Amino acid sequence: MTVHTEAPVSATIADLESDGLLGTFPQGRRLVGTVCDHCGQSMIGTRIVCSRCVGREVSRVALPTTGTLYSFTRLHVGGEGVRVIGYVDLDGDVRTLADLREGGTPLRPDTRVELGVEGDDWFFAAAAGE
Amino acid sequence: MTDSAFAVSAAMIPFGKHRSSSYVGLAVSPLIDALRTAGVQKSDVDAVYVGHSYGGMMTGQRITKEIGLGTVPTVNVDNACSSGATAIHEAYTAIAQGLIDVAVVIGVEKLTQFGGGTLPLSPEDREVKQGIVMPAVYAMRATRYLYETDATVEDLALVSVKARRHGALNPFAQFRQEVTVEQVLAARPVADPLTLLMCCPTGDGAAVVVLASERARNRLGSPRGMRVAASVLHSGQVEEGFRDMTKPEISYQSARDAYAQAGIGPDDLDMIELHDAFSIAELVYYDAFGLTEKQSAVSLLREGRTTFGGDVVVNPSGGLLAKGHPVGASGVAQVAEAFWQLSGQAGARQIEDARWAMTHVTGGGTAGLDHGACTIHIFEAA
Repeated sequence: MTVHTEAPVSATIADLESDGLLGTFPQGRRLVGTVCDHCGQSMIGTRIVCSRCVGREVSRVALPTTGTLYSFTRLHVGGEGVRVIGYVDLDGDVRTLADLREGGTPLRPDTRVELGVEGDDWFFAAAAGE
Repeated sequence: MTDSAFAVSAAMIPFGKHRSSSYVGLAVSPLIDALRTAGVQKSDVDAVYVGHSYGGMMTGQRITKEIGLGTVPTVNVDNACSSGATAIHEAYTAIAQGLIDVAVVIGVEKLTQFGGGTLPLSPEDREVKQGIVMPAVYAMRATRYLYETDATVEDLALVSVKARRHGALNPFAQFRQEVTVEQVLAARPVADPLTLLMCCPTGDGAAVVVLASERARNRLGSPRGMRVAASVLHSGQVEEGFRDMTKPEISYQSARDAYAQAGIGPDDLDMIELHDAFSIAELVYYDAFGLTEKQSAVSLLREGRTTFGGDVVVNPSGGLLAKGHPVGASGVAQVAEAFWQLSGQAGARQIEDARWAMTHVTGGGTAGLDHGACTIHIFEAA
């Protein structure tokens, strides 16, 4: 005897509607992250599924504003002028690509950095005291 | 139990800026030459595998129809810089499983279609939207490597100097002029600390390899060639937080699996064609492939242990830095170099009594992954 079941209808994900990494939160403008409600995995950006446990119950969170510069480069191609970019390991173990602002002290890996926001632009620079 | 697979011929065009050639124009001649030198008729071919990333729809069929090679399956493969090697892996797998006897593998790419600049990456990727380009990824790898080790920017330049010295001996190389450390360091900056001469060039290319089962090889009477001793393909694993960019895990794991499959270790290798898209990569991969148990990567390089006359010749072809890197073609071109070296057809760059060869390409450009793909092959002269 044939058993009939109803096939699940998979839904599309409107991931193109949530491009930006900068969001507004009660504590101010912060980088947008996602935390898995099931396993606690933290992720950069607006995500709809946990990359570790595949949980669909996730929450939008403000990511920490401080972190450690893993590495960086002064990029001379792909745009006008020189652009300084790097990978920042935010406190809480989320890595993000970021624009960097160089101050009086030359950048080096393992420098503590903090988020800066100017209009719709965001960047990281050496944290106060570095 | 798997069947043995052998490379029975290889052909390629010199890599370079071939602006007046299409994908078809790049690939048809090496296709004909590879079939001819293998003694393979069109009717002998059971399947065609074609690696490319920017060729558009039906690139493989557009090429093979020019010589009336149809009917059999043609599989177009995209895995970025690993596309060609992935095509080799797919062909090997089909032969090893006993599904087919003769496979033609084509790697082809035309990068001059973009008019210059860095390699176009997927505009849907989060970090691409933020402005990441491949030179920046490797530059950050280099910054961290120089920070953590005793390597210097002169060592990064030395990789390019070695690549150009090897490429000068290779008629298939895009760059055949030697350079000095001073010239490399004085070249235009691309992404600090990488200068233009520490980056692979933009170019066009095509390479073709014919693989055959032992049964077909005997039938063809192939005189010289090589056995596929290992064929490994790995995909990247996402990491949301810290990742050690100086130890790309995908290449470590692929090398480990390839050595196990081949039943040899790094000391057995006579040559390696590795993915030196940017000079820092070569040093990183010395570690990944287990070459540095006795001495550091920079020590191997400085002492000439990875050039002709050393312990293992790394990138005898000149590598991606000198031979060029038309993305989808590179993996097949590496296998062509291994074929010529192991069958004594490498001319001025011949490695004496070469028996074991490794080829390695990765494919990158995706946020959260070290690389999206990594393909490693090990070959034994046969």
